[in-house]
Amino acid sequence: MEVTMDPLFLAWSYFRRRKLQQCADICTKILQDNPYDQDSSLLISEAAWSLKTRALTEMVYIDEVEVDEEGIAEMMLDESSIAQVARPGTSLRLPGTSQGGGPTPAVRPMTQSGRPITGFVRPSTQSGRPGTMEQAIKTPRTASTARPVTSASGRFIRLGTASMLTNPDGPFINLSRLNLAKYSQKPSLSRTLFEYIFHHENDVKNALDLAAQATEHAQFKDWWWKVQLGKCYYRLGLYREAEKQFRSALNHQEVVDSYLYLAKVYQRLDQPITSLNLFKQGLDHFPGEVTLLTGIARIHEEMNNMSSATEYYKDVLKQDNTHVEAIACIGSNHFYSDQPEIALRFYRRLLQMGVYNCQLYNNLGLCCFYAQQYDMTLSSFERALALVSSDEEQADVWYNIGHVAVGLGELTLAYQCFKLTLGLNNDHAEAYNNLAVLELRKGHIEQSKAFLQTAASLCPHMYEPHFNLSILYEKIGDLQSSYMAAQKSEDAFPEHVDTQQLLKQLREHFAAL
Amino acid sequence: MPEVKSIFREVLPKQGQLSMEDVPTMVLCKPKLLPLKSVTLEKLEKMQMEAQEAVRQQELKAKEQMQ
Repeated sequence: MEVTMDPLFLAWSYFRRRKLQQCADICTKILQDNPYDQDSSLLISEAAWSLKTRALTEMVYIDEVEVDEEGIAEMMLDESSIAQVARPGTSLRLPGTSQGGGPTPAVRPMTQSGRPITGFVRPSTQSGRPGTMEQAIKTPRTASTARPVTSASGRFIRLGTASMLTNPDGPFINLSRLNLAKYSQKPSLSRTLFEYIFHHENDVKNALDLAAQATEHAQFKDWWWKVQLGKCYYRLGLYREAEKQFRSALNHQEVVDSYLYLAKVYQRLDQPITSLNLFKQGLDHFPGEVTLLTGIARIHEEMNNMSSATEYYKDVLKQDNTHVEAIACIGSNHFYSDQPEIALRFYRRLLQMGVYNCQLYNNLGLCCFYAQQYDMTLSSFERALALVSSDEEQADVWYNIGHVAVGLGELTLAYQCFKLTLGLNNDHAEAYNNLAVLELRKGHIEQSKAFLQTAASLCPHMYEPHFNLSILYEKIGDLQSSYMAAQKSEDAFPEHVDTQQLLKQLREHFAAL
Repeated sequence: MPEVKSIFREVLPKQGQLSMEDVPTMVLCKPKLLPLKSVTLEKLEKMQMEAQEAVRQQELKAKEQMQ
């Protein structure tokens, strides 16, 4: 006779082994077999119900600390800012305030928000803050998704709706019919229910209701509920209320997570210095905590202070020598400060750790080329191309291969590479600019001008297309246009010496007229 | 190859000023290191893809039933 395992135990075992779908299926069956009204089976069905909520939550769980999605409305209609123009070094929104010897845009490319590109992307590093409404609408986030109008219409809400659509029998828990007051009295059920509502259903308002009632039931003494309240307020955009809850939670219990959430609130309020102080307070209680150190490093990086960011990333590596973000950021910093062979060692370390993707091979290829290890260059790029997952990634890889071709003097290959880049992603402003340079070498002035104008309108924050346009206009004798383009180039990169010289020359010319 | 005499002889002026005209040249955009993606971002993108796929499947099914 076959001995069957107790279904609830089996479900629990599946849950621990992260076979979440099987776990949820068994729980559904238990719930169908055990009606709620009998006392004997009430405990079992409660346990199964709770386990199922946990399994469903785990399927879509993402770290709330990392999640940050700012919609256009929040960005442009910002109520929490104190001054129109912040003092230098106190704001994350002024990208140009570099204090700490970061590489100039002549060496390190910029993201759309005018920050140097970083070695690592998280959901919140994708955007930065565009300066104008027009730019906000145009700026893509990672690849092809557009920025949501408000965070209430963002990715999480869409995911929530999608999970509902794909469930044929309707949602597992019908939130509108749920008696939240009843559940908030039961500490064993309320927490899993809260996480389910917050992460799976993405229904922040109901989650907030439940958290408020539960914290009342706990007589405002439970730090966990306060943190959850703070999370809800943050998602709703009520940052000051969120701050209060996190502060109060920290009074009850020192937890690393509360520090991270609170720092996130301050970053959203654009108070990086407060955030830094908070991280340092946290480090007093939890010395050497990696997440806190990473937080400090990220803020320094966002404020364009590359040298201290690198210092902190090195501290992170002293605690945890497999920290991918720290290795990637230090690596990219070395690459852009003219030490590709050191960058190569960092990226090789990532490869040894088992990171295996298109981005890494692309970076390895570039580092190998600039560190003069030519044998590995093309094979790295080949692997990168074999691992691409989207057209945009492929476009970037071809763009970099184009650079290798330029370095080898194979201008035909370079031309084809940049053309391929544009075929895969026709918003690639850098490729337009480089194609324009190649076209001008061939003597195709009109074509070159058209490419440069496209590049300049796609990415007004880059100085290269403006500067090149200015040179081109000057060559063909259109001095007025040349002057205007040079001025734009100066706005994008004030320290650029060649632009300054060109402007001076043009001014002298105008004065002589 | 010491025997082969070149037709051109190099000219290395020993005195006098060396002048060079500094002509501004076009600049290329720089090579782009691609940033690695965080685990959270990868999971988000994966979930988004799966959700889109699931919805598309459902729509296909609905269409088939209509016919």
